[in-house]
Amino acid sequence: MSIYFDYQSSKPVDARVIEAMIPYYRKEFGNPSSLHIEGDEAGRIVEECRESIADFIKAEPDEIVFTSGATESNNLAVIGFSLRNRAQGNHIIISEIEHISIHNIAKYLAKNGFEVSKVPVDQYGRVDIQKLLGRITERTILVSVGYANNEIGTIQPALEISELCREKKIAFHSDAVAAEGLLPLDVGRDRIDLLTLSSNDIYGPKGLGVLYVRKGIRLNPLIIGGGQEKGLRSGSENIPGIVGMKRAVEIMEKEMEEEVERLGKYRDRLIRTIPKIIPRCHLNGHPTQRLANNAHFRFEGIEGESLLLSLKDKGISVSTGSACSSMTLKPSHTLISLGLLHEEAHGSLEFTLGRFNKEEDVDRLLQVLPGVVERLREMSPLYE
Amino acid sequence: MKSTHYSDKVLDHFRHPRNTGTLKGEDVARGRVGNPVCGDLMEIYIKVRDDRIEDIKFKTFGCGSAVATASMVTELAKGKSLTEASRITRQDVANELDGLPPVKMHCSNLAADALHDAINNHLNKEKQKPQSVKEVRCQKRAIIGEKEFLNKGVYHKIDDLLVFKDKRVLVLDRGETSLEMALKLTKQTGRVVFVTSSKDIAASVTLRAKARQSDVKFLYQSEVLEIRGTDEVERVLIHDLDEDEEYELFVDSVIILQKERHSSEKKIS
Repeated sequence: MSIYFDYQSSKPVDARVIEAMIPYYRKEFGNPSSLHIEGDEAGRIVEECRESIADFIKAEPDEIVFTSGATESNNLAVIGFSLRNRAQGNHIIISEIEHISIHNIAKYLAKNGFEVSKVPVDQYGRVDIQKLLGRITERTILVSVGYANNEIGTIQPALEISELCREKKIAFHSDAVAAEGLLPLDVGRDRIDLLTLSSNDIYGPKGLGVLYVRKGIRLNPLIIGGGQEKGLRSGSENIPGIVGMKRAVEIMEKEMEEEVERLGKYRDRLIRTIPKIIPRCHLNGHPTQRLANNAHFRFEGIEGESLLLSLKDKGISVSTGSACSSMTLKPSHTLISLGLLHEEAHGSLEFTLGRFNKEEDVDRLLQVLPGVVERLREMSPLYE
Repeated sequence: MKSTHYSDKVLDHFRHPRNTGTLKGEDVARGRVGNPVCGDLMEIYIKVRDDRIEDIKFKTFGCGSAVATASMVTELAKGKSLTEASRITRQDVANELDGLPPVKMHCSNLAADALHDAINNHLNKEKQKPQSVKEVRCQKRAIIGEKEFLNKGVYHKIDDLLVFKDKRVLVLDRGETSLEMALKLTKQTGRVVFVTSSKDIAASVTLRAKARQSDVKFLYQSEVLEIRGTDEVERVLIHDLDEDEEYELFVDSVIILQKERHSSEKKIS
């Protein structure tokens, strides 16, 4: 088993979650739409879970829509809202560093008669409120900015954005997947209208997501069928998944504080130590306004995929923003938006920590990394 | 297929690259291809005796397949005659490595090109021809958007350095004063980029040494074509003169110091 520092891309499901799910595959297999005993029980459990999950983000149960995952939630939020509210305007705003799903959704809308503006971020990845204001027009209906960035971990000023949106009578959607389980989420406090959550990002099962839809916000459904989820998302409920996410939420509520503190210590150790033991290495993202589990660096003169492969050989799993490891062979749009040159973005490594990391994992990484960097730099024509 | 789905042979050459390093001497020629912007840059050094590649070394900045293909091409070319070596193709290199991920066939399969470049440079040297050095154009073109964004991120003079606190600042080379300004700005922000059309820092020895040790990021052989933004400066379009490529860079401020005209003005008055 390798040492895993890529919790941002995928998380293992907590064993306690799996245990809670098992009965709902065989014993409690009913369909909430059915009128018999099995159906009643299924309906009851779905509503019970809806309540717990609503509570997790301080929402009301009837504001929770179950989906197949964060990508679907983002689609339902941004496309569903834009189509439904087109009469009010055809302009939406996203940030330059949104998750790829939001960028591609915006591209789809742009092809279908909408105008899309992208608001730039500062060198640490924070959305500039003045620049956001400068992009708002009378036709703007929606702003979508992630709660925290999935690559560099920068936390956005969500409240400032939502206050501006409220003042301008624009809806605010936030993809909170990266922040889930690391920051306390409160849709009332932050005045968010649409919020995307994923089950796996709090160690729940894959294939389940949530879209929070504030009362009064109208959406067009994207999946049409039997009218489940108040017609917003048809298809028989994924009950084991829903039960799993509820259990994941319960565990998170109990353990989050301790977990965030522990991961934050590991992160701080990485951020403090790596630039000390490796010359010409820089932190990407915000020095303080960043997720407790994220440490992101760039190393001058070397390329990220080579770094990743070298660490893989040492049994350490990480991620990189380098073009060479992506399907498109383009470097991370997030890193470019920070103002980095392509060659700088290529030399980046992302470490995201999680529930099952131990202090020894950090020890091992700090022990191995300088040698790996040095070997590649010796081969590099860009490093003297 | 994943872009990192490599054959065992690729991984072996990545883990244990053959012939890394450089060569020096009269009888050494260097080939250089690629571009760090695309994520791959490769250098091959050959030492030729009696039309045979006696020794060969490489340096590379790039992904796993960039390292492996460079390593493989040095193995293939070592000891070969120049004619034989110049017949080594990209496909040969890929075949010898038991294949490359399709997506990497183009971008990270530069090794044969670097070898051919080295051979050409060797032959040109023999013919006493100067090596192909691209000319740097230094023409001062008008920058699109410079006027539009003046004092909205574009500055012709600096009154208060604090304006640049934590900003991404681009300083255009306008002589030593501009370089000194760039160095001063590193106290205000972690991101200062100095754009110059020359190949190296043109300044006094002490200033150059200071610049090299500083946190200023230098963009050599580059010029700014356009300044872009909505209400303020947000991006610049940079022209890489060496590669003849254009790309965008996100910045907050662009400093274009104006030449002082005191002397001529005095004469007039």
